Amino acid sequence: MNLLDFANSIEGYLLVSSILFVLGVFAVLTRKNAIGILLGIELILNAAGINFVAFSKFHSAAMDGQMVALFIILIAAAEAAVALAIILRFYRLKQTIDADEASLLRN
Amino acid sequence: MAQSCLWIVALPLTAFVIQALVGKKLPRHGDWVSVLAILGSFAFAAPIFLEMIRSGHVSEVLQYKWMTMPGVEAAANSPVLNKAVTLTVGILVNNLTAIMLFMVTLCASLIHIFSTGYMHGESRYHLFFAYISLFSAGMLGLVISDNLLTLFMCWEVMGLCSYLLIGFYYQKVSANHASLKAFMTTRVGDCLFFLGICGLYVVFGTSSLSEIYKALQAGTGTGVTIVGVPALAFIGFMLMMGTVGKSAQFPLQVWLPDAMEGPTPVSALIHAATMVAAGVFLLVRTYPILEKAEIVLPVIGTIGALTAFLAACIALVQVDIKKVLAYSTISQLGFMVLGMGVGSFAPGFMHVITHACFKACLFLASGSVIHAVHTQDMREMGGLRSKMPITFLTMFIATLAIAGVPGFSGFVSKDRILGDALAYGMTHPGWMWIPILGFITAGITAFYMFRLIFMTFFGHARDEHKHHHAHESPFTMTFPLMVLAGLSLAVVFAGPTGIHSIDAKLLPVHWFDHALDTVKAEMGVHGLHVEEALEHRAHGLALMVSLTVAGLGIFLSALTYLKKVISAEAFEKSLKPVHTLLWNKYYFDELYIKVIIQKLLLPFTVLLAKFDDKVVDRTGVDGWATLTLFLKSIVGKFDDLVVDRMMVDGSGNVVSAGGWVLRQLQTGKVQQYLVFTFIVLGFFIFYFVR
Repeated sequence: MNLLDFANSIEGYLLVSSILFVLGVFAVLTRKNAIGILLGIELILNAAGINFVAFSKFHSAAMDGQMVALFIILIAAAEAAVALAIILRFYRLKQTIDADEASLLRN
Repeated sequence: MAQSCLWIVALPLTAFVIQALVGKKLPRHGDWVSVLAILGSFAFAAPIFLEMIRSGHVSEVLQYKWMTMPGVEAAANSPVLNKAVTLTVGILVNNLTAIMLFMVTLCASLIHIFSTGYMHGESRYHLFFAYISLFSAGMLGLVISDNLLTLFMCWEVMGLCSYLLIGFYYQKVSANHASLKAFMTTRVGDCLFFLGICGLYVVFGTSSLSEIYKALQAGTGTGVTIVGVPALAFIGFMLMMGTVGKSAQFPLQVWLPDAMEGPTPVSALIHAATMVAAGVFLLVRTYPILEKAEIVLPVIGTIGALTAFLAACIALVQVDIKKVLAYSTISQLGFMVLGMGVGSFAPGFMHVITHACFKACLFLASGSVIHAVHTQDMREMGGLRSKMPITFLTMFIATLAIAGVPGFSGFVSKDRILGDALAYGMTHPGWMWIPILGFITAGITAFYMFRLIFMTFFGHARDEHKHHHAHESPFTMTFPLMVLAGLSLAVVFAGPTGIHSIDAKLLPVHWFDHALDTVKAEMGVHGLHVEEALEHRAHGLALMVSLTVAGLGIFLSALTYLKKVISAEAFEKSLKPVHTLLWNKYYFDELYIKVIIQKLLLPFTVLLAKFDDKVVDRTGVDGWATLTLFLKSIVGKFDDLVVDRMMVDGSGNVVSAGGWVLRQLQTGKVQQYLVFTFIVLGFFIFYFVR
């Protein structure tokens, strides 16, 4: 199988989305910065979006997968707005956006 | 009719409750409550009595189911076997009830009215009326009771009231002792009476009188034995002992004279007219049983005759006016019991009624005298005739009645009893001494009663000061006297003379005889059966003898105490031992207190007390306590260690330890939570997606 065929098959898409997902998870788990975590989440969402599009392209005649991907972009935008607002408020409170500092509910 | 009987009892009972609770706050201390209540009872009793006179016969039984008891062990061939017994309480109205109700309510009403005058100004005035109301309720309840159990309850209520009223002047030591003595002495009879009721249950399976009458007529009970004794004889003796206690018969007569410590209206109400008559009334009610138990009747007759004679002798030497009347009461009760014993049913019952009237009159009159001269000692009285004419006249009439003078009520009943007793003696020669004692007693009765009259009302005043202050009593006190004196006339109970052979021509059938004949047939009472010729002969002889002894008694009394021809003092000196014996009441009190109570009962009581202290208290009660404490400590340890420490605290500790473990997971680090989430997700995928 040559590279182009591989790129045009579902496995190619899934490989890209997997890499993206793993990168996102890695960012979410390792970044101390809350905005970094937010970026990781965006990566994970986009990985999911790629999956929807890929499965829709290869296994369905309709465009429903693409529609879901559009919804994911929309929701990601809204979620980013909310998350940024929370981070802003948090910064006002603690003068930092380190996620480890948000530990009021510990134990 | 039976319904109105309930009202007759309920009214005085209500008066008692009102008086006991709020009597003190009412105007006049509430004496009108009691008086109105008893008058109300009289108003209910009178129609029943009038109905009985009109139709000659009233009869009604009203029964309510009270409770059901588990089985009673029954004697062989009795109708009850081991089955549940249903207790019915009820009202038995027959001619006896009607007459008794009328007599009791009448006497009680008059005595209530008299008391408003006599007790005027006493402290605890309201309580006095409360007690006599309760007493009246008890007596009336006894009269209407169909069931011997309710009769017994009322009987005990009267015992209680007797105790309360004898001890009414509780500041006096003698009154306290007298009330206790009366209570304890009658208790002896009551215990045995209750045994008799138990016996009735064993034999008949019921204590309802109306049912027992029926069962007896059907022949039940003959041949049944209780622990080897013929059951009916056992029951008869036990019932007789109830009468002996209540009616102060030999040998339990000791309480009645002491009962004179109470206020005089109480003596009239309880110890003359009603309560002591309750004992005889019990004999009347249970007469069919006594008749079936053949041996009992002669014994009853003997007791009656002995009591009558012994008490009359004591009355001869008494100087206290109330004591004389008390002993004459015992003596007259003896006559009633004697009459019952010889089968003289109707005259015996008639003597209950006639005696109630004339004895109430005598007592109330003596109360009037005491009220006027403030002493009970006859030696300090004398010459009161002109000062207190109404009291004198009424008391004289009652004295004529009790002495057995023709034309007065006491003669009618006593003459008939003695006639029957003589006829009985003629047919049963072994018991001849019953009528002989009766005749002697009749003579003595006339003697001491006239002695009382002569010492109190005749002659010169022995105490000038007291005589000077004496005055006739108020109308509330003389009115009852006049009514009762009126009822002491023979014409109320028989013809105008009271002598049967004369009256029979004037009044063919009198209401009393008619009423008693009917009720005898109804109850199945046979009475005395002798040949008509013999009966005529006996009654004729009895009339002659009783007239002779009564006349002789009055004559001797007049010679001794009015004309002073015979010196009482000289007579007393020459018969010193007899006088001492009589003065000390045959030493019965000493016998009972010094010998029976102190020598026999006291050591026994001490022994029982020791047993109670050493065995029951030390071993039983204390031992049980120790055992309980020991068990308690074990149970306490178990509770502390196992239940509290292990189970209650343990479950708490487990939960809190679990909480501690889980709490360690809550680090507050978002990314750590996410790691856990991914791990769990990984497991899910590993298990479910694979």
